[in-house]
Amino acid sequence: MPSADAPLPGWRQRLRSAPLVRLTLGLLLLTAVLLPLADLSITTGAPWAELGRMLAGFIQPDFSATESPLHALALTIAFAFWGVALGVALGFPLALLFNRSALLRSACAFVRAIHELFWALLFLQVFGLSAVTALAAIALPYAATFARVYAEILEQVERAPGDTLARATDRLSRFLYVELPLARQRLAAYTRYRFECALRASVLLGFVGIPTLGYHLESAFRQGRYHEAGALLWIFYLLIALLPWWAHRRLLPLWLLATPWLLGPWPAVDFTLVWQFVSVDIWPPPLRNGDLAALPGWLAGLPDLLPAIGNTLLLALLGTVGSLAVALVCWPLVSRHFGSRPSRTLNGGLLIALRSTPELLLAFIFLLLTGPSMLPAWLALALHNGALIAFLVARHADSLTPGMPGLRGLDLYSYELLPGVYPGLLALLFYRAEVIMRETALLGMLGVATLGFHIDSSFAWLQFDYAVALLTLTALLNVAVDAVLRRLRHTAERGGRRTPVPGATSFN
Amino acid sequence: MAQDHGSARAGEALLQLDGVDLGYGDRVILPGVSLTLHRGERVALLGRSGAGKSTLLAALRERLADSAAWCPQADALVPSLSAYHNIYMGRLHAFSRWQNLVNLVRPRRAAWHDISALAAELGLAGLLLRRVDSLSGGQRQRVMIGRALYQNREVFVGDEPVSSVDPRQASQLLALTEQRHSTSVVALHQRELALQHFQRIIAIADGRIVFDAPVDTLDRSRIDALYAQR
Amino acid sequence: MRWLSALALALAAGSVHAETFHFTAIPDEDEARLVERFERVADYLAEQTGLDVEYVPVKSYPAAVSAFRNNQVQLAWFGGLTGVQARALVPGSQAIAQGVEDAEFRSYFIAGADTGLAADQSQLPEDMEGMSFTFGARTSTSGRLMPEYYLRQRFNASPQAIFSRVGFSGDHSRTIALVAAGSFDVGAVNYKVWDAAVADGRVDSDEVKVIWQTPPYPDYQWTIRGDVDERFGDDTTAQIQQALLSMSDPSLLESFPRSGFIAADNDDYAPIEETGQALDLLRP
Repeated sequence: MPSADAPLPGWRQRLRSAPLVRLTLGLLLLTAVLLPLADLSITTGAPWAELGRMLAGFIQPDFSATESPLHALALTIAFAFWGVALGVALGFPLALLFNRSALLRSACAFVRAIHELFWALLFLQVFGLSAVTALAAIALPYAATFARVYAEILEQVERAPGDTLARATDRLSRFLYVELPLARQRLAAYTRYRFECALRASVLLGFVGIPTLGYHLESAFRQGRYHEAGALLWIFYLLIALLPWWAHRRLLPLWLLATPWLLGPWPAVDFTLVWQFVSVDIWPPPLRNGDLAALPGWLAGLPDLLPAIGNTLLLALLGTVGSLAVALVCWPLVSRHFGSRPSRTLNGGLLIALRSTPELLLAFIFLLLTGPSMLPAWLALALHNGALIAFLVARHADSLTPGMPGLRGLDLYSYELLPGVYPGLLALLFYRAEVIMRETALLGMLGVATLGFHIDSSFAWLQFDYAVALLTLTALLNVAVDAVLRRLRHTAERGGRRTPVPGATSFN
Repeated sequence: MAQDHGSARAGEALLQLDGVDLGYGDRVILPGVSLTLHRGERVALLGRSGAGKSTLLAALRERLADSAAWCPQADALVPSLSAYHNIYMGRLHAFSRWQNLVNLVRPRRAAWHDISALAAELGLAGLLLRRVDSLSGGQRQRVMIGRALYQNREVFVGDEPVSSVDPRQASQLLALTEQRHSTSVVALHQRELALQHFQRIIAIADGRIVFDAPVDTLDRSRIDALYAQR
Repeated sequence: MRWLSALALALAAGSVHAETFHFTAIPDEDEARLVERFERVADYLAEQTGLDVEYVPVKSYPAAVSAFRNNQVQLAWFGGLTGVQARALVPGSQAIAQGVEDAEFRSYFIAGADTGLAADQSQLPEDMEGMSFTFGARTSTSGRLMPEYYLRQRFNASPQAIFSRVGFSGDHSRTIALVAAGSFDVGAVNYKVWDAAVADGRVDSDEVKVIWQTPPYPDYQWTIRGDVDERFGDDTTAQIQQALLSMSDPSLLESFPRSGFIAADNDDYAPIEETGQALDLLRP
């Protein structure tokens, strides 16, 4: 019998003491309010014939259809490897200065905000289809990301060892003797994770013409040669699934020696063209000519910005919330706490497929199923990013040992594991939200006019002044959203406690 | 190095607290603390864990700045570096960053010489190249003390620096710190050691200084009462 | 700084020694085994002109234009509109040949049977209004430019105003697949790609119908840079043009796919340029 003088706490009272639940509910509420603005209509036609052909291609891949698939595979690895290596070389020194300079932080946020593909499109104008374009498109945004994340990891190392140093100790020595050895494992783990991301980016670069796996995959898929596309997808899944073996730490020197020869071709740069591009092409003619009266006319040539910004933000929000849902459902599928070894292997394969299939392909499949609207883009973003987060969260859960033995199934999930991983899950989600926002750019083919869609159009029409103006706008928007996310992430990392707990989220 | 055994209360005041609230941020743990520390004194801080000893030590360290060698518990070591490098860290500030960088790869001759001598005194001979996460608790504590000694400072400030070694070794290690520092302030939980090695005892309980007196005027029962409360 | 100038020197050296003549081409359908197919075209051109000829694969027409502008390729097989773009960027470049079919190219408007739109109408049906519609690639002449031109002419409104939703499928084959699946009601495609899909049985002409075809317009063409004679020898342009016009091996021609090539010049593409400017897609 419940006692009358101990009333159940009301929902207000319960929410007040649960900031993470509050944060989650707030996110859901915001989504629910904005959902009517999203175009989510479903048009069903007769997609089954086309989907059947896709499935047939996937089940019976034709490995002989692609010309030189091994070269494409090797190039994919080489660009990812050296892109990350250059990113690390550039990002490390920046990480040491990161917390000292607001200018540096903004510059990094700006560089990160521009999708690898758009960097590639920019460099393409100057360096052509060459290794420089591919490497710069990966290394530049990655350096900016490394600068931030390395700085955060270094900030979270234990305080005690550094406290014993004399105050006059210089920054480099402090880093070499205390921060680097203490943070080495986490830095290495993060770099490994980024290498997987770089492999995906390297594949994606094929979509603009760098001859990686994506080059052939995009053509084959676009033109309905599904047996070839299926083979290329299988190759990429295997590459990701076998990553821990072929990219083992001990094999790094081998890759270091073997891959530079694969990079190429090196461009013959025409410096007059480079100069023309940076001094003329990317500037609005009215500014270039000092003819300010013509500026309104130039501005009128821009696409409708408000709907574009609205669509971008809305799709990013939907994608983020969708990823949260997918991650919550999927992480137990591959965690050691649940299921059996065969089930985990099978589910692990499924998650690898989801997180390795380029969103564009996923979106096209959903486009066939649901017709054109924001819905296929939403589903593609949610599944891709949700699967990625689920995989990282499962690794985190695997490192936890339940305090109460004997709990199973939903009890184990909801009482022991979820409370343990949830702050980290949310923190990771808010990291990923920035990526999701960048990725909305790629889904313009569905007729969703995001900022990225207009940027892509400007590049296609060789209107580099508009492209750069829109890129700048996108980057500024991203910087603003990033500032909001940073606050949310801190709330998540605190996990409801008053005092910050350094290292509360360690995704090793 | 200045050596000044046995001349209690002889030196000038190193620092003076006068009714200061001590704590972290807005949280006051030890309100209204008044005390003076003289050059040449050897002070032990006694009290149950959580009484506020570490708070007082932090305040002293902050005020003594670079004249204090700080020796916390052994978790302040960098586990993946060798004992040699962990001790060397005490003097990173004394060398240029490039010398420090090179030293990671190849020990500096002079530093290796000094640290080997120190290691021999600390009972760490032959262990200098071992990663500290492969050392025992007692050995790690010696490395920690080694780092503090290598700093060559005037005042030794320790927080339970000998908690994981047996009493005889603890006594030896404390003697070593005395040899190398003219002044020391050490938080302890072993009463015997406090009585043997120190001239003045500051006792803390329940967020205040219960007594602050020279050892030779102290009644043992007052110390026992400190731990017998409640 | 020293390594920077060394790098610049190395890059410059690379360009001096590269006296290979590069060209690129993207067929309007079936990009499978591109390199293999076009290396045979390169061999043919080399044999006819005595130059060292190499094929450079590119992904898209915008990429082809960039490569042409950056002098990574000296000769390119462009669409009507992308050829105009490229020639505007590289002064002195000229169109030298077009496919036999390209003098009178067409776009088809196709629709799913369940839209109720009748086949082969004499003008674009008014019933299309409010339906969903997809173009092909954004800078495609046959998949975007001319269809948009005729839509605006017929309805006196932008595509976005005519249709409930406007997509860009990115490719003619994909436009056909999307209309066949019912994802979009109506689409605009290159007529040759459609004819090939029907001939191969890849599309069921009972389920997807051609509802209207545009009047003829000029499309694909070979464009060469103006500085090739200076760089590769006085009559390079003439030799390349002659080699293209006399290409008769069906196995080479089927890569494009065209039945043969005929002479063309920049003026042939004035209608395309005017249309592009009228639609605000090209800057005057």
